[in-house]
Amino acid sequence: MKRLTDTELEALLNDTESDRAERKESFKGDTPKKARQAVCAFSNDLPCHNDVGVLFIGAKDNGEPSVLQVTDQLLLSLADMKTDGNILPLPVLTVEKRTVKGSEMAIVTVMPSDMPPVKYEGRIWIRTGPRRSIANEQEERILIEKRRYKNLPFDIYPVPSAKISDLSKTIFENEYLPSAFATDVLEENNRTYEERLASCKMIVSPDDTTPTVLGLLSIGKTPQDFIPGSFVQFLRIDGSELADPVIDEENIGGGFVEMLRRTEEKLKAHNRTAVDITSTATHQVDTPYPPAAIQQIFYNAVLHRTYEGTNAPVRVYWFNDRIEINSPGGPYGNVTNENFGKPGITDYRNPNIGDVLKTFGFIQAFGRGIATARKEMEKNGNPNLDFETNQSVVVCTLRGKP
Amino acid sequence: MNQPVLTFFNNKGGVGKTSLIYHLAWMYASLRKRVVIVDLDPQANLTAAFLDEEKIEEIWGSQDIGSTIYQCVKPLTAVGDIAEPILQNIATDLYLIPGDVNLSGYEDALSNEWPNSMGDNNLYRPMRILSSFWQVMKMAAVKVQADIILVDIGPNLGAINRSVLIATDYVVIPLGADLFSLQGLKNLGPTLRSWKNLWQKRLGNWKDSAEISNHLTFQLPQGKMQAIGYLCQQHSVRLDRPVKAYDKWVNRIPNVYREAVLNQAQAATVKQNEDPYCLATIKHYRSLIPMAQEHRKPIFNLTSADGAIGSHANAVQDAKKDFKELAKKIAKGIGMQI
Repeated sequence: MKRLTDTELEALLNDTESDRAERKESFKGDTPKKARQAVCAFSNDLPCHNDVGVLFIGAKDNGEPSVLQVTDQLLLSLADMKTDGNILPLPVLTVEKRTVKGSEMAIVTVMPSDMPPVKYEGRIWIRTGPRRSIANEQEERILIEKRRYKNLPFDIYPVPSAKISDLSKTIFENEYLPSAFATDVLEENNRTYEERLASCKMIVSPDDTTPTVLGLLSIGKTPQDFIPGSFVQFLRIDGSELADPVIDEENIGGGFVEMLRRTEEKLKAHNRTAVDITSTATHQVDTPYPPAAIQQIFYNAVLHRTYEGTNAPVRVYWFNDRIEINSPGGPYGNVTNENFGKPGITDYRNPNIGDVLKTFGFIQAFGRGIATARKEMEKNGNPNLDFETNQSVVVCTLRGKP
Repeated sequence: MNQPVLTFFNNKGGVGKTSLIYHLAWMYASLRKRVVIVDLDPQANLTAAFLDEEKIEEIWGSQDIGSTIYQCVKPLTAVGDIAEPILQNIATDLYLIPGDVNLSGYEDALSNEWPNSMGDNNLYRPMRILSSFWQVMKMAAVKVQADIILVDIGPNLGAINRSVLIATDYVVIPLGADLFSLQGLKNLGPTLRSWKNLWQKRLGNWKDSAEISNHLTFQLPQGKMQAIGYLCQQHSVRLDRPVKAYDKWVNRIPNVYREAVLNQAQAATVKQNEDPYCLATIKHYRSLIPMAQEHRKPIFNLTSADGAIGSHANAVQDAKKDFKELAKKIAKGIGMQI
């Protein structure tokens, strides 16, 4: 990630014609909305600067400081732009407090994305000169093409053995598209089915309609034919060891929506809520595991696992005293064995799968799963979560109440 | 106050009013209008739709000044003045002033001050109490720079509702297709007109009083109460009724509306589905409703993760279109740009 020097920053700030800089006096009113549009536009980098875009908070339109006090709160709400899930795939940006022209400013530096088009609330924003606008058909096509020359994450690799007919048009058009794009964008444009698929990274490009890993997993008819390990193995074991008798077993496949929903139903069925009406005057409701915690850990396992070069499924093993959720592939990127589970430490092996899970509604915000799960466990009276990580796997254990 | 206050009102209950406001509020917010919702129904159903029980318990338990609509006006009943409302931020551009079951306790104060406000002196306090809901709405609107204020009230013609309607610029009347809704409509129109007149008299009385010079900054609502149309529920609660009966009631609505609400002479027969005053027929969204309630969101925001897959996904899109259309129609009626 590039960090601009003070001189470079000042030059950008003064260059009011530049399409790599945007200035805002404060972060109030509709600025949070406009700032997100700007971040989205910088990420798309339509003019191909291959360089960072900078958002100055605390500068007037003419480049002069508006004299703003940069508080911790301000920096936090700026950092929120990255994780609240409205900009997809997640942008790469840094937020820092700098002194420019003798005045404090909050500086948001945005890297161009390797996976354009980037959307904000279902709209693809781009820079055209010193202003922002929504990409038209041709511009969207350019953005899609840009994707082909980068070192891409595995989730948008093409799967050569698959064909476009292996993707379900019904699911794509009825369920995915309406959530991925704003209604007015969909009503206005005349893009073809292939162009829409390509824009959502389900296929390589409108000319090369080979489905991607993402396409097959999200809207594929039978994703497991092409990505063999991409299923969930559920086991209910009557005992506390793997050798104990299995009383329920299912391999749950299908696209993300089917796979996640069916697994959740299974988990719900086993997470039996007991109502105690005898021991006290009022009845007591008791849930063995907090549903929100199981859900978060399970979604994490599906989102962060590796889909590359493994035939291992996500394993959900339910013992009498604990649930073990096993996600293939060790910690990734910034996340290591040492810092695993610490607040603020997140990275994405599959950023585009994150995008899809958010679009389908499974994810509300990014980077908060483990914290939420921990809180829920505590509230429900369960012991804390245990994580075991190594090179090839992340295992999370949710323990039953003592 | 420039922000239009829109109240949904019918003295017949169970016509889907609360659910309607809930969905419209979300729709306006998603159309990037800043919405303040005020729950002035002492049953507080709308509040329960937005907030979960734990949160409501916390708000009601705290009894903090300004935390609910009742806590805003309560100081008035003693020696204090109206408190600034604490708004609950539900989502981007969506704010709620929570309702309160204790609000019914304010009914007496409002009833008592109504005759007092026509007296000769000491008018300030009665006028302040009678316009208190409006004052609170105004504070909220200024606080968050709202574009529109949506108000939900209970189904009756009591003093609370009279006060709310005084604060109201536009009225939308949700109806069911049955005798009760029609009968309600018949006495609703004349009541609205009478309240409007009585409030004008009070405004005049205040303007002519000597006290006004002591309270130059004191503003009062105009009590416009302009009816902009009605909404009809496609299926009434009693589904076992034959369809013919539904038709019978539905086709009487346009005329009753013109006579009772608009005070027009009987016009030529207008069918309900051709009536320009009919803002929409609200469909029964069937299984989407419980799904939406479970996930605490409007039906048109349901996702695949919530279970809106297959034909449900289409229904979600249809609902989105319907509500957007309705939101636009109402916006046009109240002169709000979308």
